Amino acid sequence: MLEAIGLTKLYGQHTALDRLDLKVNPGEIFCLLGANGAGKTTTINLFLNFIAPSAGTARINGVDVARDPLGTKQDVAYIPEQVSLYGTLSGVENLRYFSALALNRHLPRPRLLELLEQVGLDTHAIDKPVSAYSKGMRQKVWIAVALAKEVKALLLDEPTSGLDPHAANEFSGLLTRASQSGVAVLTTTHDLFHAKHTGTRIGIMKRGRLVESLDSAQISDVDLQKLYLAHMGA
Amino acid sequence: MIKNSQAIRLRMVMANELRLLLTDRCFWIVSLLFMLLIGYALSNGMRQAAHRTEAQAAIVKDDAARRAQQALKLQRIVDGSERPGPFDNPADPTHMGGGYGAHHAIMPAAPLAPIALGQDDLFPSQFKVTYNSKVSFISDNDIENPWHLLSGHFDLAFVVVYLLPFLIFALSYNLLSGERESGTLRLLLSQPLALATLLCGKIATRAGALLAMALLVPVMTLLLARPETAAGGAAAALCWAATVGAYALFWFALVLAVNALGKSSSTNAMILIVAWVVLVLVVPSLLNLAVTAAVPAPSRAELATRTRVVTAEAMARNNKLLSTDYEHVGKPGVLLPEQGKLRIAGRLRGMYKIEREVDDLMQPELDRFDLQQARRQALVSRFSVLSPAAVASEGMSALAGTGQRRHAWFMAQVANYHAQWKRFFFPRVDADRAIGIDDFGRIPKFVWQEERAQEVRRQGWLAVMQLLAPSALLLLFAAWRLRRYSVV
Amino acid sequence: MILTIAKRDLLERWRDGRLIWAGGVVLLLLLTALGVGYGHRQEARAEQRAAQTSDYADWLKQPRRHPHDAAHQGMHAFKPDAVLSILDPGINPYIGSTIWLQAHRQSEVMFRPAQDATGLQRFGDLSVGWILQVLGPLLVIVLGFNAFAGEREQGILRQTLSLGVPAPSLLWGKALAIGFGLCALMLPAAVLSAGAVLVGAEAGTVADAGWRFALLAAGYFLYLAAFVFVTLGVSAASSTSRVAITVLLAVWIVNVVIAPRVMSEFSRRWYPTPTRLEFNSALSADLKRTSDQTWQTNFGTTERWGRDVPLSKWGLALRLDDHASYAVYDRNFGRLWDTWQRQQALQEWSGALLPLLSMRAFSMGAAGTDFAHHRDFTTAAERHRRLIQDAVSDDLVKHADTLGGQHFAYQSGPELWQSVPAFAYHAPSPQWALAQSWRSLLCLSIALGISLTFSWLSVARQRAL
Repeated sequence: MLEAIGLTKLYGQHTALDRLDLKVNPGEIFCLLGANGAGKTTTINLFLNFIAPSAGTARINGVDVARDPLGTKQDVAYIPEQVSLYGTLSGVENLRYFSALALNRHLPRPRLLELLEQVGLDTHAIDKPVSAYSKGMRQKVWIAVALAKEVKALLLDEPTSGLDPHAANEFSGLLTRASQSGVAVLTTTHDLFHAKHTGTRIGIMKRGRLVESLDSAQISDVDLQKLYLAHMGA
Repeated sequence: MIKNSQAIRLRMVMANELRLLLTDRCFWIVSLLFMLLIGYALSNGMRQAAHRTEAQAAIVKDDAARRAQQALKLQRIVDGSERPGPFDNPADPTHMGGGYGAHHAIMPAAPLAPIALGQDDLFPSQFKVTYNSKVSFISDNDIENPWHLLSGHFDLAFVVVYLLPFLIFALSYNLLSGERESGTLRLLLSQPLALATLLCGKIATRAGALLAMALLVPVMTLLLARPETAAGGAAAALCWAATVGAYALFWFALVLAVNALGKSSSTNAMILIVAWVVLVLVVPSLLNLAVTAAVPAPSRAELATRTRVVTAEAMARNNKLLSTDYEHVGKPGVLLPEQGKLRIAGRLRGMYKIEREVDDLMQPELDRFDLQQARRQALVSRFSVLSPAAVASEGMSALAGTGQRRHAWFMAQVANYHAQWKRFFFPRVDADRAIGIDDFGRIPKFVWQEERAQEVRRQGWLAVMQLLAPSALLLLFAAWRLRRYSVV
Repeated sequence: MILTIAKRDLLERWRDGRLIWAGGVVLLLLLTALGVGYGHRQEARAEQRAAQTSDYADWLKQPRRHPHDAAHQGMHAFKPDAVLSILDPGINPYIGSTIWLQAHRQSEVMFRPAQDATGLQRFGDLSVGWILQVLGPLLVIVLGFNAFAGEREQGILRQTLSLGVPAPSLLWGKALAIGFGLCALMLPAAVLSAGAVLVGAEAGTVADAGWRFALLAAGYFLYLAAFVFVTLGVSAASSTSRVAITVLLAVWIVNVVIAPRVMSEFSRRWYPTPTRLEFNSALSADLKRTSDQTWQTNFGTTERWGRDVPLSKWGLALRLDDHASYAVYDRNFGRLWDTWQRQQALQEWSGALLPLLSMRAFSMGAAGTDFAHHRDFTTAAERHRRLIQDAVSDDLVKHADTLGGQHFAYQSGPELWQSVPAFAYHAPSPQWALAQSWRSLLCLSIALGISLTFSWLSVARQRAL
């Protein structure tokens, strides 16, 4: 579903991503771990065609994102670390607009309310301006957009950073439900716990290279931590 | 693919942008200010144009009244119930052809005059034409405080040329940079939305809002206040709308090009302000300088000197006539016409001859002036494409009938009228023929002929083209830079 | 401490390129304008000198002719271009500098140089004065808009104030920084201008030119200082740099772009100028009334030059008629010019809040290119015309009126021509110019006072965060 083949990105002399080979099948949740600057966000940006690769390809549903940027965006939903919305519009208005852009048609209000309920957004806040929302609330609106798209792949960039444990837990639940319905998820994170307990596969990135790739079920919390720190230390 | 259709998404973007604009307090403040300025400019323009028209109507009325009085006076002279004076005798061709009987040649205001008052205060629109040399009446000016001539008019053209760009900046300087800085750009482009679609939608909404204010409101106000505009000025109004639209397009294209550079919002704002200063303030005056340096205005001091010398020589040549004493003192009967003939006083004949000689000798000098002026204006027209402000300003003045070209056309008609006037009076002076009652109807009248509408339209659309050319270049540049635009 | 703050601020502006780029461009424009102004004036002066000399020479060389005809040919008065017109041409392009002094009528200037200009005339002439008045404030804004707001945004202001630095010191320090920056930029242009002015001044007027230059410099100092404090005040009062620059740009646009035109229209509404027709009608009516009175009193008839007054009395009649008309012209033209000066005065008063208007007036006044100077010249020219007129009339009365039934047969010659001196005009002194410009100077000072107060209060009340 999500595939990177020899994906490379160079900025002058600096190698941000070095020949990444990666495959996320439907139903899998692949968690990319790594320090700041390891290349996690670069990977996400390459899948979204926000930057052009220096070499290699990124494919969504078998299609090269550079060849068909608009078409491939049909099939993927992106959730950034910081969700920004239009502050003067309400939650439901933002959802209506972005989902319309995604689907090329406006969803009826009942459907919008249904989506917001699905993500657990407080009903009182729905029609209030987004400038008053917390980070978690904004993220929920954006997840609703992603759900509206009914896509087969999700790209998440540090989704739980800055969320309190309850919200983070809620979010993990959503992810699990999504993967159970066959969605391929690629997520970057710092959170080892979240990676171990939500992800089906874990990858560790260091200085642009995928140095480790393993099944999360086959390693314990403690060993994962040791492995991660070992890579970071060297 | 229907799913990727950008047309529907374009409409969505436009709808959302409109909504965002309407909830933005800044937009309301800016729009309100703009409407106030437009309203004031338009009302000012209408008032000034009306004032000018009234003044001209007063002149026409005054001329007609005087002519009627002169006719009556002539009747009384012929009847014998009144004796003519030595310098205000309607039977004397030297009086009627000179200042006493002169009428004005007037260039009326065009239908769209309130929009661009232009330089109508610098270039006179009425001349009192006599058979004296052209150089004597051509320097006749309307009375105006030079301080005001320096300042210029607050008319709609001024608001459009100087202030509309600022509005465009205020609403769109952070077209892309703002979305990028706030983080919404990534979210937008993570949908099947092309960057071009987003930009078109944003610009279309803003342009629509601004042009509705800058075009619809003035046109409707004008039509309501001066219905004759619809009849005479429909084509010109359309051309004017196109000029304003093209001018706005230029500034939008500039904003787009600056945003495409990928710099921060505050840097964009700086660049745009500098561009305005350069294109609207500095380049036109540098252009003015350059044209003056390349084709200098001929020396007026020299013209004055030459006129004086020529006049002095003519006076010397006709000294004998000038030394002839008036005969009417003690012999008033001399002033009466007899069988269609009138003894013209020697001095008056002398002065007539002097004026005629000066006119013939000075004509080539005046022609040289006009030629030089035409060359300068042609240079300006050619190079003003460097400053859209200059093109827009000149274009609007031309459509409003207050530009250089229409004035030059007026001057040509004045010259014709002057020739006609002379052709009527000269033979009469030469043959000592008195002016009779039936001659009054034959005295040449100035009939204004409007510029060919086709020509005005052609020039108008040329100005629009001159505005579209740099816009196209900027858009090409923007398109090229946007290919590499970094969304994150 | 103030000096420390000033030095640091100045260094920052140097390093971030603002001083070099923005200042450099302005300097370049100033030097261009100076060069152009100097060139123009040299040309105009040479041309005018030649014309004036040949004019008087031709007057003296006239053949024997009737004095009245000599008066009809008349003389030309050329207004000498003030040396400081290099810096500020003022209203000169919009009002002519040539007056034809001819018999029987007060002349107005013959033509306006602006009429020979192209359609771009209204965009302005690039002159040193224009650049300082229009771009000077913009430069100040660019240099100072984020002086306080930027530091607030970065958190530096909070730290500075936590050190116990008094707010007024910050204000003076930053003001000094901008001031130094401006001085450094202006210095080359100022030195060259002063040189051009002193070199270009006519012999014997060098001191006057120097004083006028000093006045001009003082005026611009007040003007730009006012903008420095407004900029700093707004920066202190704004929460972000963006708000500061938006407000300041709005202030600049209103002051420099909108105000001149709006106030011009407004002053014209308040003190309307008559149309040419209205003026001429009023003048003619007044002349007729006066001359009827004169003729009736002296000759018992209102029929001028008619059958009742013998040719032998025409010289006397001419003199009486002219003398009577002098008062009429003075009245009518005086009223017109007073109206214009009142219109200008109204605009100058508004300069207390819109400094450009009083700066413009003061600059022209100091340079000698304003209407007051023009009026002085026109009045002097008219006096000379009356001199010619009176000389001619006296000669006619002495000689022509004794010829019995002749008048125009009399011819005069070089003795009469030589009795009329050449037109020599000396521009008024700088003290006179200062006295005429008191209003604009006062308003500039008021504007500076207001901006100082505003900035003081803003800085005292500003938030650290």
